[in-house]
Amino acid sequence: MAIIEIYDLIMHYLVIIFATNDFAPWIRGVLGGLVIGAVFGGALVMVYLERKFLGDMQSRIGPNRVGGRFGVLQLIADAIKLFTKEDIIPAKADKWLFIGAPIVALTSGFLMVAVIPFDLLVIKGNEYAVAVSRMDISILYLEAVSGLAIFATFMAGWGSSSKYAVLAAFRNVAKMIGYEIPLGITVISVAVMAHSLDIVEIVEAQSSIWFIIAQPLGFVVFFIALLADVGRIPFDQTEAEEELVAGWATEYSGMRWGLAFFAEYLHAVVGSFIVTLIFLGGWNGLPIVGNLYIPGIFWVIAKTIMVMMLFIWIRAALPRYRIDQVIDIGWKVLIPLALLNLVWSTIIGLLWA
Amino acid sequence: MTHEATQITSPTKPSEILLHLGPQHPLQPGPFLLDLKIEGETIREAELKIGYIHKGMEKVFEDRTYLQILPLTDRICYLASNSNNDVYCRGVEELLGIEPTERAKYLRVLTNELCRLQSHLLGIGEYATDVGFLTMFIYMVREREGVVSLLEAITGSRLNHNYARFGGVANDLPPGYKEMALKTLGELKKQVKSHDEMLSSDSIYLRRTKGVGVLTAKEAGELGVAGPPLRAAGVEYDLRRMEPYLVYDDLDFKVITQTDGDVFSRVKVRLLEILESIYIIEQCLDQMPSGPYKQDVTPYITRPKPGEVYARIEDPRGEMGMYIISDGSDKPYRFRIRGPAFATAQALPPLLVGGYVADVAAIAASMDSCTSEVDR
Repeated sequence: MAIIEIYDLIMHYLVIIFATNDFAPWIRGVLGGLVIGAVFGGALVMVYLERKFLGDMQSRIGPNRVGGRFGVLQLIADAIKLFTKEDIIPAKADKWLFIGAPIVALTSGFLMVAVIPFDLLVIKGNEYAVAVSRMDISILYLEAVSGLAIFATFMAGWGSSSKYAVLAAFRNVAKMIGYEIPLGITVISVAVMAHSLDIVEIVEAQSSIWFIIAQPLGFVVFFIALLADVGRIPFDQTEAEEELVAGWATEYSGMRWGLAFFAEYLHAVVGSFIVTLIFLGGWNGLPIVGNLYIPGIFWVIAKTIMVMMLFIWIRAALPRYRIDQVIDIGWKVLIPLALLNLVWSTIIGLLWA
Repeated sequence: MTHEATQITSPTKPSEILLHLGPQHPLQPGPFLLDLKIEGETIREAELKIGYIHKGMEKVFEDRTYLQILPLTDRICYLASNSNNDVYCRGVEELLGIEPTERAKYLRVLTNELCRLQSHLLGIGEYATDVGFLTMFIYMVREREGVVSLLEAITGSRLNHNYARFGGVANDLPPGYKEMALKTLGELKKQVKSHDEMLSSDSIYLRRTKGVGVLTAKEAGELGVAGPPLRAAGVEYDLRRMEPYLVYDDLDFKVITQTDGDVFSRVKVRLLEILESIYIIEQCLDQMPSGPYKQDVTPYITRPKPGEVYARIEDPRGEMGMYIISDGSDKPYRFRIRGPAFATAQALPPLLVGGYVADVAAIAASMDSCTSEVDR
């Protein structure tokens, strides 16, 4: 219990600092840095988990040399390798687009992190969300910012002046147009049911019943659209190795490629957070633990890791769709289902209110 | 569909792109260049350019003695090295007028079928990665390990076996081989059945493969395609049945056919052939007579009488033929290889036209061509 008490103490002080708001700018900056660091770490954890669990599922061992039996330092070794590699910019590339693309991709990921709440603390009757920033429209903000990632892929695809890259960029844009719509509609359904666009409110609305139970169809549509959005199997056509070499990152090398790769995982991690928050009840714990007090942040992280594992599991279990089939599914299946779910959630939401 | 070698035209419309797949590309088992003219994701024209690893094998063979050629036949295609040894030896045996011993015949059938097993397993695995199914690839390679170990136990090497000899084979079975083989093959049978079930029921996989890259029986015949791609089109063409060599007459097996001729059927044929090959191997192990595994006198310097011979075999990939002309010296006067992969490779460009870029990988891998053998 000691750890939990320490955690509570730290959180209380942080919240007091927040609440007084006197030295807010730099403290907020520090806290923002901490959260970004934590999510950065989360992406690293996902890369490691992916290697290890994918290995297990495919009856391989996975990383097992660097840093002991479990290869925990493999990522550091890879990072050193990427940093020491030659940074090649193709002669015919559009230099600024080429350089800018990974930066835009990462920026979009980090901007999303800003509004992700990890917990909600109630101190002296006041509510404080543990987040870098709490917005009234945070769910819409997330949608908008996640759409920025598409610029990164298109900048990279166009700027590389490579046919593979530009084909991948075309695919990505086509896919994104088809899948942002069901994603958006499902998010609206969630907002309708929670009567709020604020993620904190949405999570609080799930204190009695999680939205995965209230609108299972919405969860399925959102999850599939999210898979397509972050470009993981079975929707990883944009980097289908056997067709387009490395997709839009074909011409990248060294750490620039590393950034592009990392941005994808960052999006996957943030995507897992969003699923956790808007469908899996966020920091609302399971009733099975009884009276034992478990901090909300623990639930958020545990559920997020579960969602990540689901991503990895799906990757191990499924082959890849063809791009025309992906577009078909987006427009002909997911959008009607998302609309149906919107109707459903509106009715339920009204009854609930 | 035209069967003349098509020359790709340069793009005229701004929406068309000329895409060079290769000579180095992750999809390829070896270097070749596939030029595609694409409009959006649709392929308008395709042209295959080969010859990047031409080794001049046929000419090299004319400058080697008959025994020196034997290990080189392994290198035509490492996945079919046993079949290549065997068909070469049968050609030379026919020129010399000798027969392998009865036990050697069984041993050759046994190793040939093991060779078919490991080739099919890797072929399906590579194909699975090309539709984005990495897990299946790893499973297939895992299954293949056992088969390769069985081959290693007989021949002493894992890839280039160099096992057949004129009138026999290099060595006999190691002790306790039958038990070892039955155990591994029993496990393999179970695994392959479960993989077949997995591939036949996965909806994404079915959507990727059903009705894609259809090669009809007529087209396959015109292009000289044999083996699994032809049988997938519904033609019961199998040299083991039509022209039984070695001891295939005494063995009971089915010729696996499918009707559609698409990517799915080609892979299905391979999966079912694995089960059939296991059945053949089990029969071989049961029926194998005792006796010498080679002729008493193995001729080291071979001088066949002048004459010519065409020997052919059901390779894992199709029909492998070797045409040898002897002028009575210790080296062949003319040597010609008719490879199955060459035929399947030339069937590739017409299949791609009208399809999607994403189908290139699936179709190419389902034909299971081998660049090393195409160029030889």
